[in-house]
Amino acid sequence: MDEIRKNYHKHLDEIRQELVRISARVTESIPKATNVLLDQDLNAAEAMIVADDEIDARSVEVEDNCIRVLALQAPVAGDLRQVVAALKISAELERTADLVVNICKAARRIYGHELDPKLRGLVLKMSEQARALMSEATSAYLDLDAARAAAIDDMDSFLDDLQRQFIQAIFESHAAARIDLQVAIQMAVVARFYERIGDHAVNVGEKVRYVVTGWLPEHTGAARHHERVSKDPTPIGLPKADEA
Amino acid sequence: MIQVQAVQPERTAESSVVFSVRDLNVFYGEFRAVRDASFDINENEITAFIGPSGCGKTTVLRCLNRMNDFIESARVEGKVQYHGVDLYDPQINSNEVRRRIGMVFQKPNPFPKSIFENVAYGAKLSGRFSKTEINEVVENALRQAALWDEVKDRLKASALGLSGGQQQRLCIARCIAVKPDVILMDEPCSALDPIATARIEDLMQEIKKDFSIIIVTHNMQQAARVSDRTAFFTTEINPESDRRTGVLVEIDSTRKIFSMPSDERTELYVTGRFG
Repeated sequence: MDEIRKNYHKHLDEIRQELVRISARVTESIPKATNVLLDQDLNAAEAMIVADDEIDARSVEVEDNCIRVLALQAPVAGDLRQVVAALKISAELERTADLVVNICKAARRIYGHELDPKLRGLVLKMSEQARALMSEATSAYLDLDAARAAAIDDMDSFLDDLQRQFIQAIFESHAAARIDLQVAIQMAVVARFYERIGDHAVNVGEKVRYVVTGWLPEHTGAARHHERVSKDPTPIGLPKADEA
Repeated sequence: MIQVQAVQPERTAESSVVFSVRDLNVFYGEFRAVRDASFDINENEITAFIGPSGCGKTTVLRCLNRMNDFIESARVEGKVQYHGVDLYDPQINSNEVRRRIGMVFQKPNPFPKSIFENVAYGAKLSGRFSKTEINEVVENALRQAALWDEVKDRLKASALGLSGGQQQRLCIARCIAVKPDVILMDEPCSALDPIATARIEDLMQEIKKDFSIIIVTHNMQQAARVSDRTAFFTTEINPESDRRTGVLVEIDSTRKIFSMPSDERTELYVTGRFG
């Protein structure tokens, strides 16, 4: 039988394709920002900060399109999951792009300070791992590949380890008086930015799984809350009647 | 003679099933219109039947109050149990079946009588009510059908003077007046404008605490809006005869059908990828 809502489904595909393009662009910007940071290239930093406005504009447009589909087409089943996921993925990408900008801004703050080779090496590793995670998330979303999306969570633990190693290395550099306290703090925050990019990639992967299978992440906090409430319905923080 | 009313369903988890249908096959002469449908309908829920034209949803609906009895060539096979009683037992009084299991049709079909007479008709026919009681029955039914305030000052006026939406609510009131247990609705809103449709949909939510409702609708959004459970039917084409037979694909909570249906065919239909 014939497909009967061709234009509507074409529109849904276009929303996903635009998000994949944004995602690819954000992915490419991660190593660029790292170069900006390590080379302390302030002109390039400025250019990247300005370029983020375009990502903001494009994600707003995607969200606008999603809202239009929700309002006018009443999507259901797989289509509904596509639109809901697109809204959330758009927010994840926009936030990731902001983190990339933050890395560029950090380049300004550490300007004129040399990093020791060990720290530089770890920054490159974190950058490469964050890029790889976003790249996987982008591919999984492009192909709607739930298995690939599910693997991103495991990959992320490697980035978390790198961040911990980096913090340790900062302590060592500081103890050996090879780094200023101000720069040390800036770099600790930068490590956090890379680590957060990994988290956003994991979130994109979760949304891909939701589109394909309807799977929702088991929010461990929510699960703990439900278990607590089932045992003791008293709201947390309020004394029970007999204790009051 | 066995009367359906002899069965008093107990309100246990098990008896919350109103209809239990197993391996239902419906034939018109040699032609099989519906094949092997099995499903349960729960009490005080709204169940929607959706599917493309010719999928057998109306045919199945009409089996549930033996409306197919009126079609000479129609033959029903399989089990249709109503509160555990076989509806097609030859000893069952089919008039009593249709009192307990009322029906509202696509086009409002009031009698060419007064508003009052339309609603009082069934109650009078039953001979169970005094004149004062009938007044009460009519008022209650019209109130339940959310029509009372609009017609209370012109009960003696012809029902044909009402708007389409009012006529349809009048038909619902007429159905309610004989105190049924189930209301079957065959595309009750397809002849109505959006406001009148919204009124009927709202009314369905109001009255589902007192009745079990099954609605056949072409409007998927209506099924999504009003129903608790949705059954999706589709057609199978016999390659030899090129004739279409209706099959039940799945029945599940409406939320599931419209967010994560189990069967690929349901997904394709509700998202408009085939129709």
